[in-house]
Order: sequence, then structure tokens, then C-alpha cells
Amino acid sequence: MYRRHRKLVLAVAALLFLWLTFFTIRETDFVLITQFGRPLYTVSDAGLHMKWFWQNSTYFDRRLRMYNPRPSEFLTRDKKNLVIESYVAWRIQDPKRFVETVGDPIAAEMRLHDIVWSGLAAALGTHDFDAIISPAAETVKAQQMLDSLSAATDRAALAQYGIQVVDVRIKRLNLPEQNKQSVYARMRAERERIARQYRAEGEEQALRIRADADRQKEEILSVAYKQAEKTKGEGDAEATRTYSAAYSKNPRFYKLIRTLESYKKIFDDKTTAILSSDSELLKIFMRGETGQ
Amino acid sequence: MRQRIAIGAGILWLLSAIYIVPTDAQAVVTRFGRVVEPRMMPGIHLSLPWPLDRVSRLKVQQQQRLVIGGDASDSVLGRTQPLQTQFLTGDQNVINLRVVVQYYVGVPSDYLFQQENVTRTIAGAVESELARRVARRDVDSVLTTEKAAIQEEVRAAAQKVLNEYRAGALLSSVNIELAAPPPEAADAFRDVASARADSSRIVNEAQGYSNDVLPKARGAAQQLIEASEAYKQRKINEAQGDASRFTEVAAEYAKASDVNGRRLYAEAMEQILPKIKKLIVEKNGNLDLTIIRKEDK
Repeated sequence: MYRRHRKLVLAVAALLFLWLTFFTIRETDFVLITQFGRPLYTVSDAGLHMKWFWQNSTYFDRRLRMYNPRPSEFLTRDKKNLVIESYVAWRIQDPKRFVETVGDPIAAEMRLHDIVWSGLAAALGTHDFDAIISPAAETVKAQQMLDSLSAATDRAALAQYGIQVVDVRIKRLNLPEQNKQSVYARMRAERERIARQYRAEGEEQALRIRADADRQKEEILSVAYKQAEKTKGEGDAEATRTYSAAYSKNPRFYKLIRTLESYKKIFDDKTTAILSSDSELLKIFMRGETGQ
Repeated sequence: MRQRIAIGAGILWLLSAIYIVPTDAQAVVTRFGRVVEPRMMPGIHLSLPWPLDRVSRLKVQQQQRLVIGGDASDSVLGRTQPLQTQFLTGDQNVINLRVVVQYYVGVPSDYLFQQENVTRTIAGAVESELARRVARRDVDSVLTTEKAAIQEEVRAAAQKVLNEYRAGALLSSVNIELAAPPPEAADAFRDVASARADSSRIVNEAQGYSNDVLPKARGAAQQLIEASEAYKQRKINEAQGDASRFTEVAAEYAKASDVNGRRLYAEAMEQILPKIKKLIVEKNGNLDLTIIRKEDK
């Protein structure tokens, strides 16, 4: 009876000893070894480790955490309000310092909030609105600002709380709610201006096209007129040449028939001709063939 | 009997050392918590039996989806105002964006062990890059022309950030699913779109006018030219006709100019005199001109 009990006790004691001596660390954790509450050293390699059985191991999550502080309103150097929503990527770097000063992640994030908030307020106080938000890319200094803010936050957090701040970034920029209505009004006004401009530009282009068409039309017609008149002139000239060549060979005959033609046209039924009985035409009529 | 059970249990225990990684997955093997095999490919493998080794399988090929902005639940991002989807553009316009991020596992051991919450890390990186890119552009380019460029820039930059964080995730796409002006100014934005349409309509109409007028003008011009050619030809032909007729007649006339002259004269008089009033007076006789006046009345 006693022997069996002794065996059991020994086995339990041995198991307990192993349990207290060996410990494993996952890739996601750190272990802080404490001796009667006093922090001794940190083990950061994952795997199987040994300690004295009277020492305690405390686990800390070493993974990267994303902390999103509440969006806050900041004032830029040129006195414009800006609502900034940021995130802080952080992890525990020095568990000893961390456990001494902060203790748990929630408290750590409160500390980070304070550091980041005052850092952002200071940084924005030295930057103009244009340096954060502007369509002219070369004036934007936001990234440099955040890089130096990250570095400063990292230094402060590491020294004070054993926290490594990997990055501080702005994930949302906005304008304060109370400014929104005026912003919308400005946006509307801007759109109206642009719409007017589009319409006016369309009108301009249309007028230009119409005017161009009209000009081309005039040009086409006048060029054609010019050519047509020239052609007609050539025809007239050629005709005149032909006529004069023919007529100048027989000027007397031409004079005769041309004059007779003219008579035909000049005299009509309103004309009264006083004919002498002595005239060539009437000589025979008046006096007979012999002409007495 | 007891021995057999022990042996059977032992064999079962040893069998736990064999594990299978399915086709669409990769596995990470940890021994006492330490990564010993960061990436085991699909197939059958051997490890130390449980609980010395642990196998975590990950579906690496599977695309995961994450929505930023929009009206989807944003509890992952820890956003205090879940409907807040507004971004500020460089020209200080407020616009609403909804972005869909697709990603998959790149480095399984980093993906599993380097961060507390992968989705949150990815969302933070993408959102910050998006805010930065949008803040450097004007609203028109965000809404229209630069959308594709922003998507690609954000994807590349956010990937760089994630690599710095050792997030172990690969972004396959960042897609701006919705980019819209806020409802308070939406009608003004729509008016710009219709102004653009109006503008091109007016221009098209003018083009139509031009297309109508110019061919007609060219036709009229051609007509004018053709008519002038016709006139020229007609004039020349008429002249030649008249000239040759004249020449022929003149040749005959010359043969007996006296007789022909009289004949022509007489023919002309025959045509003229019947139409007109005639007063015949005696040679050297006096003419009372009042007759003419009476006749006129």
C-alpha cells in the first residue's frame, strides 16, 4: 500500500518537476523569466527551453498589432482643421520594460494614443494644409512628416514602455463635420463652373466649326465663280476672234447686213417713218420704172 | 491484453507523425513552438509525432476578400463610424470610395505568426496608401482617368508596406469598386456629365452642319464651272457657225454685189415697213408736222 503510494507520489513529483523545468515558446510569443516576482531575463527564441523550477515564465505576445486611435481633429500651421484617422503598428520589444511600466496591451495603446496624438498635433502645427493635401504632388510632405513621427514615437515608446513602434500612418483624412456643408457648397459651385465651362467650350467649338464651314463654302463658290468667269471670257474672246477674222475680210458686206439687222430691231409699230417719194424704194412706186 | 492495448496506442501515436497536405494548401510545421518547416508543399510527409510537432495547414491559393469603405461592416477596421467612407482629394473635395482588396498567403509562417490580425494589418496598409494617393489628386482624376493608376499604385505601395511588416500576405488586386461624389453634391456632378454630353452634342451638330454645307457648296461650284464651260463652248461654236455662214454668204455677195445689195435691202424693208406707220411725202414738198401729232392721238 505504502509502496504503491510512494511510486505514485514520485511519479507525480517527477512530472511536476519536468513541467516546471521545461517550457516551450511559440513563434508568436516572448517569455519573461521571473524569480519570486523579480524579472530576470527574456527568452525570445521559439522552441523548447529550461529554467529552474522555482522560476516563473510569463508569456507576451510579440506579434505586430494594429492600433487605431479614434479620429481626432488637428490644426495645421495655416490654421485649417483636419480630421485625421491614424493607425499605429506596434509590438512589444522589451517585455521586462513593458511589464514594469505598462503591463497589458490595452494600457499600452492608451499610452501610444497620447504619444501619437501629441506627435501628430506637433507635426501638423509645423506643416501647412498644402503639405498634407494638394493635387501638386511635389508640395506634399506627408510621408516625410509621418516617417519622422514614426521614428520619434518609436524612440519614446521604446525608452519608456519597451514598445517598438513600427509605423505610424494616416489612413483617413477628412474635414470636420461642421465644415462639411460649406465644403459641399463649394464643391457644387465648382461643378457648376466646370459645367458652364464645358458648355461654353462646346459652343465655342461649334461656332468655330460653323464659321469654318461658312468660310470654306464662300471660298469654294468664289473660286468657282472666278474660274467660271475666266472660262466664259475665254469663250467670248475666242468668239470675238472668230467673228472679227471673218468680218474683216468683207467689211462692206458686214456693214450692210449688220445695218439691216439693226433696222429690223430698231423699228417697231410705234415708229412713224416719213418716206420721201424720191427714195430708192419708192421711186418706182411713185413714178414707174422709167422714173419720170 | 494490457500490453496489446499499449502497443496499439503506441502505433497510433507514431502514425500521428504522418500528415497530408492537400493540393490547394501548404503547411507550416512547428516543433515545441519553433518553426522547423516554413513551407511544406502538397503531398504526404513525415514529422515527429504529436505533440512534439504541430502542423498548421493554410489554403495558400485561396483568394481572400476585404472591403474598405462602402456600407459593409467595418468591425475589422475598428472604425467608430461604420458608414464613414469619405476620402479627401487634393483639391479638397470629399468623395466616397469603396475598395475591394484581394489577397492570398505569400509566406505561410509570416502569415501565421507575425501579426495579431492579418486582415487588420492589410486594411491599415491599403487604406493609408489609398488616403495618401487620393490626397494628391484632384477629384476629377480620382473619379475618372486616374482610377486604374491609383489602384495599381496603392497595390504596389501597400505590398511594400506589408513586406516591411512581414505580413506574409500577397495583394493580388486593389479595386476601386465605387467612387462617387457625396449625395449632397451628386446632382452638380451629374450636371457636369450632362454638360460634357451637351457640349459634344453641340459640336456634333455643328459638324453635321459643316458636313451638309460643304458638299453642297462643292456641288454648286462644280455646276458653275460646268455651266461656264458650256457657255464657252456655245459661244465658240456659235461664232464659228456665224463666221462660216457669213464667209459663205459674203463670197456669193462679192460675185454680184450690186444685185445682192439691192435684194438684201429690199428683203429687209419688207420685214420692217409692214410694222411701222408710213408717211410718204413728195420730193421737195412741204410737210405739215401736225399730222403726226394727230396720228398719235
